[in-house]
Amino acid sequence: MSTSAHDRTPQQRWVRGGTWLAVAVVLLIVPTQFPQFRVEQFCSWMALAVAACGLNLLTGYNGQISVGHGALYGVGAYTTAILITKAGWPILPSAVAAAVVCFVVGVVIGLPALRIKGLYLALVTLAVATLFPLVIEQFPGLTGGGNGLAITSPRLYRGVVRDKPIVFESPTSALAGDQWKYYLFLAATVLCFLLTRNLVHSRMGRSLVAIRDNETAAEVSGVPVATVKILTFGISSALAGVGGAIFALNNARVNPSSFTIVVSIYLLVAVVTGGAASIVGPALGAVLFGVFTDVVSPSLPARLQPATPVILGVLLIVLMLTAPGGLVGIAQTFRSRLAARRLRSAGDGAAGAAPAA
Amino acid sequence: MNNFLQVLVVGIGDGAVYAMLGLGLVVIYRSTGLLNFAQGELAMFSTFITWTIWEVGVPLPLAVLGGMVGGFLVGALIHQVAVRPLGDPHLRPLATVIVTIGLFLGVNGAAQLIWGTLDKDFPKLFGESQVTVGGVAVAWQKIGAVLVLALMVLVFWFLFQRTKVGLAMRAVASNSESAALVGVPVPRLLMLGWGLAAAVGTVAGVFTAPNLGLGSNLMQLTLIFGFAAITLGGFDSPLGAVVGGMVVGILTSVLPQYLPIFEKMRLAPAFILILAVLLFRPQGLFGRKQVERV
Repeated sequence: MSTSAHDRTPQQRWVRGGTWLAVAVVLLIVPTQFPQFRVEQFCSWMALAVAACGLNLLTGYNGQISVGHGALYGVGAYTTAILITKAGWPILPSAVAAAVVCFVVGVVIGLPALRIKGLYLALVTLAVATLFPLVIEQFPGLTGGGNGLAITSPRLYRGVVRDKPIVFESPTSALAGDQWKYYLFLAATVLCFLLTRNLVHSRMGRSLVAIRDNETAAEVSGVPVATVKILTFGISSALAGVGGAIFALNNARVNPSSFTIVVSIYLLVAVVTGGAASIVGPALGAVLFGVFTDVVSPSLPARLQPATPVILGVLLIVLMLTAPGGLVGIAQTFRSRLAARRLRSAGDGAAGAAPAA
Repeated sequence: MNNFLQVLVVGIGDGAVYAMLGLGLVVIYRSTGLLNFAQGELAMFSTFITWTIWEVGVPLPLAVLGGMVGGFLVGALIHQVAVRPLGDPHLRPLATVIVTIGLFLGVNGAAQLIWGTLDKDFPKLFGESQVTVGGVAVAWQKIGAVLVLALMVLVFWFLFQRTKVGLAMRAVASNSESAALVGVPVPRLLMLGWGLAAAVGTVAGVFTAPNLGLGSNLMQLTLIFGFAAITLGGFDSPLGAVVGGMVVGILTSVLPQYLPIFEKMRLAPAFILILAVLLFRPQGLFGRKQVERV
C-alpha cells in the first residue's frame, strides 16, 4: 500500500518529514490556543483514536470484525476508575492495569473467535456490546450501577482528608491542569500509535495481513494462525482499554450510558472513515468524528441535532461503496494519479525529444 | 406451578415477537446472505410510521397495514441504494457489516429527526384486557401476538410454496447465478425480500412498542433476541425462526424466576445461546450446513 522507506525519493522524504513536523507542531500548540472545554474535547478524541487504532489492528489488518470494542473500551474505563477510587491506586499504574485486564479479556474473547468468523463474529461482538452496560448496572457496589462512578482519590481539603474527584495537577505554573492532562494523553496516544506501527511492520504484522487475505495459505506458509489471531485480539483489546482509561481519566467519571452499542459503532466509523488497514487512518477518523460531534453538531439547532448520526451513517455507506480505503485511501488514489500524470508528461517530453536527437 | 405457567405464557408471547423479527432476518439471510444489523432499526422506523397514521385518527389495525406498506417501501429502497451495490456479503464481510451499521446509525438518526427524541405512548393492538384460564391470566395482546405470528407463517408458506414469485425467490436463495440464467429477475426479487423483511419487522415493532414506549432505541434489545432466535433455529430456516423465537422467549422469561441474576439481564441467556450455538452447532437446529470451499 504505502511506499516503503527505501523507494522514496529524497524529495518525497522531505515532504513527508515536513508534514509530520507540521502535524507535531500543531498537536503541541493546540492546547495553548483553545479554552479548557475544547482541550478536554480534544482529549476525548485521543481516547477514541487510541481505541480505534486497536480496533483497526483487529478488523482492518487482521480481518476479524468486532462490533463490540465499545465494551472493551468500557472495561478499560471501569478498571481505571475502580482501581483509583476503590483501591486507591495512582493514575498511571491503574491505566497500565486497564491495558493488562483488557488484554486478558481480549484473549478470552479471541478464543471462540477462532471458530466464529466474519459476519457471525460481528453478531457475537454486537451482543457483547449490547450486554456490557447491563452487566455494569448489575454490580452497583463495585461500579456505581446506573448512576455511574465518580473517580475520586482521598486528598487533603480544608484540613480534612476527603474523597475528591481526581485532577491533573500541572508540575509547572506555565501549564494549566487541562493542558498538562492534554500533553500526558498525547504522549500516551503517540506511544500507542508508534507501537502499533512497529507491530504492523514486523513479522507479526505481515502474519496478520496474510491471515486476513487467505487464512489457509497463511497456515500452509507456516504462520501460527491461532496464536497470531488470539494475540491480535489481546493487543487490540489492550489498546481499546488504554483508550477507555484516557476517556475515564479525562472525565473523572464513568457511566454505563457512555459504553452502549453506539460507542462500538462510532469506533467502527472512525476506523472506516479514516482508512482501515492504515496507521494514521483511525486517528484521522477520530478527529473527523470529533469535529462532527463536538463542533458541528452543537452548532445546529436542537431540533436538527440528530442529523449528525444520519450524516455519519450516509457517509459510512457512501465511503464503503465508493472508496473503501477511507480518507487515507482517497489521498493515496489522488497521489498515485498525480504521479501517473507527472510520469506521462515526462514520457511525452522524452518522446518529443527523441526525433531531434 | 401457577407461577411457572404464568411466566411461560409471558415467554410465549415475547417469543412470538422475537420470531416475527427473526422471520424478517431469515428472509434477508436466505435471499442476500447477510445478517441485517439494521433490521431492528427498520422495524422501529416503520412502527413510527404506524404511530403517525394512527395519530391522525385511523384505526390501529389499518394503521399497522399502512406501516407495513411504508416499511416495505423503505426496505426496498434501502436494498436498491445501499445493499445491492455491495455484491456477495460473504466475500466482503467487513463492507457488509459497515453498510448495515451505517444504516443502523442513519435510520436511528432519521427517526429522531422526524419524530423527536421523546418516547411516545403506543396503544396495544389487542387492548388491555386479559382472560383467566385455569388460574393463569393471559393478556389478549399475548394471544394476539401468537395468532399474528401464525398468520404470518401461513402467508409466508403460501407465498414461498404456492406462488410463482415465491418459487423465484427460492430459486434466488438456492443459486442466484443459475436463477438469473433461466430468466429470474434476481435484483428485483432481492428488493422484494428486503421489503418483505421490513414489513414483517413492523409487526414486531408494533408488539414491542406498548411495553417499552416508542423511541428510537425501541428494537435494540429485541434485535439481539431475534438474532438469538435465528441462530438457534438456523439462519436460513423460517421454521427455525419460529421455534427459536419461542425457545428464546420462554428461556428469557422463565430463567430469571429461578436465577435472580438474570432478572435485569434477560439478554444474558440470549447471548450465551448465540455463543454456544455458533461454537458447537453453527447451522442451528434446522439450518443447512455451510460448506466452505478453499
